[in-house]
Amino acid sequence: MARNTTGTKIGLAAATIAAATTAYWFYLVDEVALPADRSLFVVLFLLAAVLGVLALVKRTSWLGAVPPLLAIVIGLFFPVTMSVSEQIVARDTVIEVGDTVPRFTSVDGSGDTFDSRVLNGHLVLIKFFRAHW
Amino acid sequence: MSVDLPEVIADRRHLHGLTATMLSDQQLAVTDLFGLRNQGFHSAPGTEEAAALPVPATLLVDRDGTVLWMDLSENYQRRSDPSVVLAAMKTHFDP
Repeated sequence: MARNTTGTKIGLAAATIAAATTAYWFYLVDEVALPADRSLFVVLFLLAAVLGVLALVKRTSWLGAVPPLLAIVIGLFFPVTMSVSEQIVARDTVIEVGDTVPRFTSVDGSGDTFDSRVLNGHLVLIKFFRAHW
Repeated sequence: MSVDLPEVIADRRHLHGLTATMLSDQQLAVTDLFGLRNQGFHSAPGTEEAAALPVPATLLVDRDGTVLWMDLSENYQRRSDPSVVLAAMKTHFDP
């Protein structure tokens, strides 16, 4: 029983670290303030996953196994997605240096139509990014 | 240019303090014209409506519409480093 209690406590600690790190991550996403160096997040998530494994090794009650399992899943998700998030563009269609920028229309933040013709005669920096997060 | 909806752009642009034109390309129509749709895996938040994402890219374009320089990110979670872009602008825009 004592062993089960120890495992359950470690499991709760692991889940707390995973949850707090996730909450902080989404807070920073919302504030558009994610740091370029995310190694602290990787360390914290991996710590949560390792503690989750440790909790299961130490044995938990059946219900007590839920927090460490959550910690392992959450803790591994972020490092894994970071490691597999390679960019793949279609080589035959991607724009290259020396190409002429295609004419396009789009919509701005006010809902107004934007026509790329207004860029003619100007030096322009065009930035593609995924979204505010 | 991003997959953000216009209302999200209007809501969030103050967080960047940006004055540049910000455009919504949720269907990736413009992204596809430039061939910049990311064909790889991405982990968009569950609330995100976009089916795919562009590869983070920065292009410098001259007055005739010709691409002078461009930078593609190796990882969609990273964007072009500002110092790299500024150096490229100095080279290509201030010859």
